[in-house]
Amino acid sequence: MATHLRMDRRDFLRLSAAGAAFVAASGAQIGVSSAAEGTLDIFFNSDTNIIDFWTNVIKPGFEAANSGVTLNLVPGGGGSGVNALADRAMAAFQAKKDPQIDMLEATTPFYPAGSIEAGLWVNFETSGLSNQPKVNPVTVQSPFLLPYRGSQVVLMYNADQVKDVPATFPALVEWIKANPGKFTYARPDLGDSGACFIERALQEVTGQKPDLFQPENYTDAYANPMFEKLWPLLKEIQPALFNGGEYTSGNTASIQLLASGAISMTVAWSDMALQAMSQGVVPETTAVAQLQDLAFTGGFSGVVVPTVARNKDAAIKLADYIISADVQEKVVTDLGGFPSIGWDNLSKELQEKFAKVAPKSIPVFPGTWEPKLFEGWYRNVASNIKQ
Amino acid sequence: MDAGNNRTGRIDFLAYGFIAIPVMAIVVFLFYPAALAMFGTLFHKRPDGGLAFDASSYIFFFTDPYSLANLMRTLWTTFVALVLIVAVNLPIALYMRFTRGWLASLIQGLALFPMFVPGIIICYALIRYLGPNGWLQSLLNAVGFTHYASPITTPWGPVIGLIWDGMPMTLLILISGLGTISDASIEAARDVGAGRLRILRSIILPQITHSILIVSALNFLGFFGQVLMPFMLGPTNPEMMGPFMLRTFVSVRDPLQAATQATITFLICSLAGLAYVRSLANRKEER
Repeated sequence: MATHLRMDRRDFLRLSAAGAAFVAASGAQIGVSSAAEGTLDIFFNSDTNIIDFWTNVIKPGFEAANSGVTLNLVPGGGGSGVNALADRAMAAFQAKKDPQIDMLEATTPFYPAGSIEAGLWVNFETSGLSNQPKVNPVTVQSPFLLPYRGSQVVLMYNADQVKDVPATFPALVEWIKANPGKFTYARPDLGDSGACFIERALQEVTGQKPDLFQPENYTDAYANPMFEKLWPLLKEIQPALFNGGEYTSGNTASIQLLASGAISMTVAWSDMALQAMSQGVVPETTAVAQLQDLAFTGGFSGVVVPTVARNKDAAIKLADYIISADVQEKVVTDLGGFPSIGWDNLSKELQEKFAKVAPKSIPVFPGTWEPKLFEGWYRNVASNIKQ
Repeated sequence: MDAGNNRTGRIDFLAYGFIAIPVMAIVVFLFYPAALAMFGTLFHKRPDGGLAFDASSYIFFFTDPYSLANLMRTLWTTFVALVLIVAVNLPIALYMRFTRGWLASLIQGLALFPMFVPGIIICYALIRYLGPNGWLQSLLNAVGFTHYASPITTPWGPVIGLIWDGMPMTLLILISGLGTISDASIEAARDVGAGRLRILRSIILPQITHSILIVSALNFLGFFGQVLMPFMLGPTNPEMMGPFMLRTFVSVRDPLQAATQATITFLICSLAGLAYVRSLANRKEER
């Protein structure tokens, strides 16, 4: 769920920018997809950098190895767009018709509710993927979701201005207070990096025990006492944030503020941070770091395949291909992401180069907690109204 | 005579046929789902399957200081942007009505330019230009002015964005309104010794009240429900109704409350819509 939400919100800007038009646009795209034999219709929830990666790496490689198969890569129009596609797959499943969808990217099998139980999605553990045994178990949320790339939230800072980067969360809070106006994070619903910041703060005020937060254990009675401890901490650092307590409207906006020199440190997704650095849109002295006491949360994106897809067999073959060592190495080198298969399957050279950043586990914060957490943040932290 | 009537009858029928297509599309894809959503905010399914009247989501909205603060911010932004957009565009329209030449054409071109630039691009451009450490601040620093405070992420951010975005339409409508004023009437006023201000107040303004009303009504609709400008350029809090609804729906996952916010937004906007329609109808009668 967390991964799914993550991608939702990362696409949120684009989604809302297009406004109502995106519905029409994705509708039009749906209309032209023909579900032809041998043409795989793949819909993306991720940003254009991921679709570029598929266009330049996965599509040519897979099509060369499987003659007669073409990949039709379609931007799905953000979280709600992809949810609408999942709804369509469910409707087609119930009507025993062709959904004209062969694969959905960066979504989860948990939507629509009950779709797993009904048998809408392919179970990757029992469909004979040759690379399945290599998958790192910590990345798997459900047998019906095949993770293929991960990323993690990191501190992104200008090393010119931040000489001693904080290594623990309390040190980070101290740094923020000591350097007023030089740090901020994204609004949690608009940029997941910001969400991860407040989630890490929540883990801090509850004694650094990530196990307290499970996908199925959210209740108001259980969560509210913890939230009550979180708000004072976030309220306390607010005056020391950028512009006297202002939050950015997304992951990109955070990086822009850092690039313009208005702030010296923020939180960002590892893949976006590495890309910004390699493209030179941030100062040369920009660096990334991870907290050493308890890392910021992260997430893995995966693919799902409807069992009624016209090209189901080819789609499963493609799923096997994207978790092959070849593609997974490219995920690391070209995308700045983490592989979903064990690092020991990658080349020795890569293993050594990334030994330091390769996380042994990526803590994931359950998405089921987020609606109440974010709404509480807006009401208790961002707003000055006394409830 | 009879033949003529028949012909008109046929044409009317054909005309209604043409109108029927867009009207049906609006009814099926807009009115019906909107009515359904509004109905759903007031009538909730009971466990036994019946419908029960329940206005609790409205009571929540109007007793919740957070929601009310958002509504107030939306009204403030809308009215401030509305007053400013008329104040900025009326002089330009007057200038363009009474001046010919290359400068007027240039200004017209510049003023209509925003029409061809998508909103998201404008937002990023404004952030780059007006934002912290942006071009404007650098330029001001270069001439020794160092007290610049960026309007981005303050309530003035969306106001600036909305004015930029609404400018071409406002200007076009005002110019067309000014176009209906005959040169003769102005010259006649001048002949009897009226000064410029007097001409503006007694000859021009009364004749373009309709245009100003239409501009205000249309811009009100556009501003009130804006999503992009407020969340790209505005502060985190209070939110405008557009981002607030979207967040309630997508992030808080409370479709009932989102639909309630949308219905309240719709009711407020329909007042502006009513003013627009009445203004159009009055105008027809006068003719």
